[in-house]
Amino acid sequence: MRCKLKKIISFTLILLLILSLNVYAAETNEEIYTMRIGMTQEIDSLNPFESWLVTGAEFFSVIYDPLVKFDENLKPIPNLAESWELSEDQLEWTFHLRQDVKFHDGEPLTSEDVKFALGTFSETGLGMYASLLAGITSIECPDDYTVVIHTEEPKANMLMAYTPIVPKHIWGNVPLDELETWPDENPVGSGPFKFAEYKQGEFLKIEANDDYFGGRPHIDEVVYVFFASKDTMAQAIKLGEIDVATNLSPTQKQSLEAEENIQVISGVVKGYTEIGFNCWDDPASKGNKLLLDKSIRQAIEWAIDKQQIIDVAYSGEGVFGTTVIDPGDYFHYEPSAEELRTYDIEKAKEILTAAGYEDTDGDGIREDSQGNRLSFTFSLIADNTEEVKAGQMIAGMVKDAGIELVVETVDESMLLDKTVAGEHDLFIWGWGADVDPTTILAVMSTKEIGNMSDCFYSNPVYDLLLDEQQAIMDEESRRDVVWEMQRILYEDVPYIILTYEVSLQAVRTDRCTGWKQVPEGGPYFLGATIHNYMNVQPAAAISVASEATETGTSSSMGMMIGAVVIIGIAAVFWARKKRKTEEE
Amino acid sequence: MKRSYVIKKVLQALLTIAAILIFNYFLFRIMPGDPLQSVMRNPKATPEAVERLKALYGLNDPWYLQFWIYIKHLFQGDLGMSFLYKKPVYEVIGTRLLPTILMVGLAEVLAIISGIIMGIMAAVRRGKSVDVASLSFSLITYAMPTFWLGIILVSIFSVSLHLLPTTGLLTPGQTYSSTFAMLADGIRHLILPTLTMSLVLIGEYALLMRNTLIDVLTEDYITTAYAKGFKEDYVIKKHAVPNATLPMITIIAMNLGLVIGGAIQVETIFSWPGIGRLMYDALTARDYPLLQGIFLMITVCVIIANLLADLTYGYLDPRVKQ
Repeated sequence: MRCKLKKIISFTLILLLILSLNVYAAETNEEIYTMRIGMTQEIDSLNPFESWLVTGAEFFSVIYDPLVKFDENLKPIPNLAESWELSEDQLEWTFHLRQDVKFHDGEPLTSEDVKFALGTFSETGLGMYASLLAGITSIECPDDYTVVIHTEEPKANMLMAYTPIVPKHIWGNVPLDELETWPDENPVGSGPFKFAEYKQGEFLKIEANDDYFGGRPHIDEVVYVFFASKDTMAQAIKLGEIDVATNLSPTQKQSLEAEENIQVISGVVKGYTEIGFNCWDDPASKGNKLLLDKSIRQAIEWAIDKQQIIDVAYSGEGVFGTTVIDPGDYFHYEPSAEELRTYDIEKAKEILTAAGYEDTDGDGIREDSQGNRLSFTFSLIADNTEEVKAGQMIAGMVKDAGIELVVETVDESMLLDKTVAGEHDLFIWGWGADVDPTTILAVMSTKEIGNMSDCFYSNPVYDLLLDEQQAIMDEESRRDVVWEMQRILYEDVPYIILTYEVSLQAVRTDRCTGWKQVPEGGPYFLGATIHNYMNVQPAAAISVASEATETGTSSSMGMMIGAVVIIGIAAVFWARKKRKTEEE
Repeated sequence: MKRSYVIKKVLQALLTIAAILIFNYFLFRIMPGDPLQSVMRNPKATPEAVERLKALYGLNDPWYLQFWIYIKHLFQGDLGMSFLYKKPVYEVIGTRLLPTILMVGLAEVLAIISGIIMGIMAAVRRGKSVDVASLSFSLITYAMPTFWLGIILVSIFSVSLHLLPTTGLLTPGQTYSSTFAMLADGIRHLILPTLTMSLVLIGEYALLMRNTLIDVLTEDYITTAYAKGFKEDYVIKKHAVPNATLPMITIIAMNLGLVIGGAIQVETIFSWPGIGRLMYDALTARDYPLLQGIFLMITVCVIIANLLADLTYGYLDPRVKQ
C-alpha cells in the first residue's frame, strides 16, 4: 500500500513540476512577432569575406545591401543605387546612390563605402562574392553619392554582381591580411534587419531595422534555429515551435503536406547534382584513362534512367537534368531531339560496340582492344543518403551496358582531396549557382583546374567563349554564346547532369500571410531575393487569438496545479498517518 | 602502505595521460587529407594567402617543432586555435561543456539510481514478475536505438501531449521576463534529452546490479545472516548490497568519465549544443586542434575517473591494496 502511494505522490509531483514550468515559460514577452526559421546547416561565419555557405549568403542578404538587387523575376532593380548609366564605350559605369541610407550604427552610407566594399572583395579575392567582380579595374568617388566603376572590358554581369556593401568605418580598420580571420562578432550593415545575437550551435537572431530606407519589415525579429536533425525540425514546425522549415527531406514533405496550417513547397533553386568524370589527359592523372574517351561517358548517360533515379532515390523531388544551367533560367540551353540523351540501353551498347569495346572474356564487362576492363571507381559522399542510393542504382543500370562501377563511399573532404589531386574516376556531387551564369560556366574552364574544376576538363574553344560572353552587353547575343557553351559541354560530357536541385521548404500559414515563391516556382527562403522577409505579415487575427488562448490555458493550468497540490499534500499526510499506525 | 598505493595509482594515471598526449597528437596527423583545405574553403585562394594561413596555424614548421610547440602551449593552458571557429580551442569547448555536463550528468545520476534500485528489486524477487518486468525493460531499452527512442519520446511528449519542447537549450531567441522564467524554460528543454539518455543507460546498470546481487545472495554469509534471524530487508541492505557495489563502482566511474564526451545521438536529435555534436563537426571539418582538445579532455577525464574508482575500491575493499 505504502509503495503504491509513494508512486502516486511522486508521479503527481513530477506532473506538477512540468505543468508549472509550462506556465512560467509562457509568461514571456509576446508583444512582438518573432519568425523562427529552422535550418539544418549552421552559418559558417558572420564575416562575408570568409563565409562560403548558402546560409551565410542568406544572413548577409538581410544585414547588408547591394547596389542593385533582383525583383521577383530576378531582373536587376535599384537598391542603394537609385539609377545608373553606362558610357558609350561600355567601360564606365556611373551609379547614383540614395542619400538617405544609414548603417545600423547611424553612420551614413556613402560612395566611399561602396568603393571600399567592391574594391576589397575584388582585390583580395576573398569569399563567395569576389568572383563576380572580376574585370573591375578602378573605382572612383567624384562625390559622396556617386560611384564610377571602370572595367577592363564590357562587363555583362555588372548588375548581377550582388555584393554586400560593408561599412568602411569598421572594415577599413581591419588589416587586409586579417580580413579572413577577423571574427565579425557584431556585424553592422545597412539592411532591413540588424544583428542581435548569435549562439553557436543554437540560433542566430536578427531584429527589424526601424530606419530602413525601403520601409521597416512587418516582422519584428527573425531567429534562425539550427537543427542537428531534420526529423526534429519537421516535428518542430508541426508543433509551431518554428514558423519555417528549410531543407526538408521528401518523406518529411509528404508527412507535412497532411497538416492543416502548413504549406510545403519544392522550390526550384539554382544548382544541380551531377556525375563528374576525371577528364585529365596528363600522365600525372591517377584516374582510369579509358574515361578520356567521350563515347564511354556518353554511353553511361544513355544507360542511366534518370527519371527512375529521381523517383526512387529522390522520392520524385528533382527535375530531369540535361545542361549545366537549370531550365527556369533565361540562359538555359535545351538539347535538341537529336542531341538529347535519354534512357536507352541498346543505344549505350551500340556506342560501346562501335567504339571497339567488347566483352571478350564473357564476364559481362566489356574490354578495350588491350584487354583493359571498363571498370571504374565510383565515389559517393557517404552522408548524403540520396546520392548514395542514386549511385548504387546507377551502378546497377550501367552494368547492363557492360560497364562496371565499383562504388566507394567517402566523406566530402576526402572527395575534395581526390578531385584536387586527380585521383578519381567518377563521382556524384553538386553545385549551387548564381543568377549570373559566369561562375557555374567557369567551373569547366582550363584556368579553374586546381581550383574549382573537379573534372580537369579543358577545351580552348570553351575557354574563349567563356571570356567572350562576359563582355557581351546585349542579352540575346550573350545568350547565344552561353547556349553554345552548354552545347559543347553536353556533347563532351565532363558532367552528366542527373537532376536540378529543388529545395523543400515548409511555412506556417496560420502564423503569417503573404508567403510567396520567388521567382515563380522558386523557394521561399535561401533564394536570390529577400522578398519574404520584407513582405510577409504576421496574421493579426491569429496572434490575438493565440494570446487569448495562452492566458486561458495558463489560468486553467493554475487551477489544475492548485488541485494537484491539494491532492498531493493530502496524500502525503495520509501516507504518514498510515505508516505511523503500521509502526505502532 | 596506503600512501604508496595512492602514489602508485597516481603515477600510473600520469603516465597514461602522457602516452595519450603523444598518441592523440599523431593520430590526427596520420589521418588522410590536408587540413589546410578545410581551413581555407576558398577555391580561389592565392598562394600568398595559403602561405599566410600556414604560418598563422604553424603548419610550416617541421613536425617535431610543431609537436614541441603544442606541448609547450599545452602546459601554458593553451590548446591552440580551432580551424573551424577561428577561436581558441578552450573557448569553443567551454561554451559547449556546461550543456553536456548538465544533460549527460543528470541522465547518468538518474540512470545509476534507478538502475541500482531496479537491479536490487529484480535480484531479490528473482524469477517473479518484478524480475521478469525489470529484465525485459532493461534489455529492451538497452538494445533500443537511441535515435529512434528520442523521436518516439518527442512524438509522445511534444507532438501528442504538447508538454515539452523538442529543440535546444532554451527557446531560441526568446527574451525572458525573469530569470525564473528562463530557468523554467531551461528545465523544460532539459527533460526530454535527459530522459532519453537515462533510459538508454538504465539497462546496463540494472542488469549488472541484478547479476552481481544474485551471486552475492548465494554466498554462505547471507545464509548465516538469515540463520542469525535477521529480517530480509536488513540482510539485503547491510550484507548483500554493499558487497555487490564493487563492480558497479568500476562501470560508474568509467561512464562518468565519458559524461564529458557527451552523447552524439541524443545531442543531434534534440539539437543540444554539447560536446558530442562539436566533436562530430570538428571531425567532418578536420579541425585537428579542436579534435585534439576534445579527445584530450575526454581521455583525461576517463583516466581521472578510473583513478578515483581505484582509490574508492581500495577504501571499500581493503583487500585490493595488498
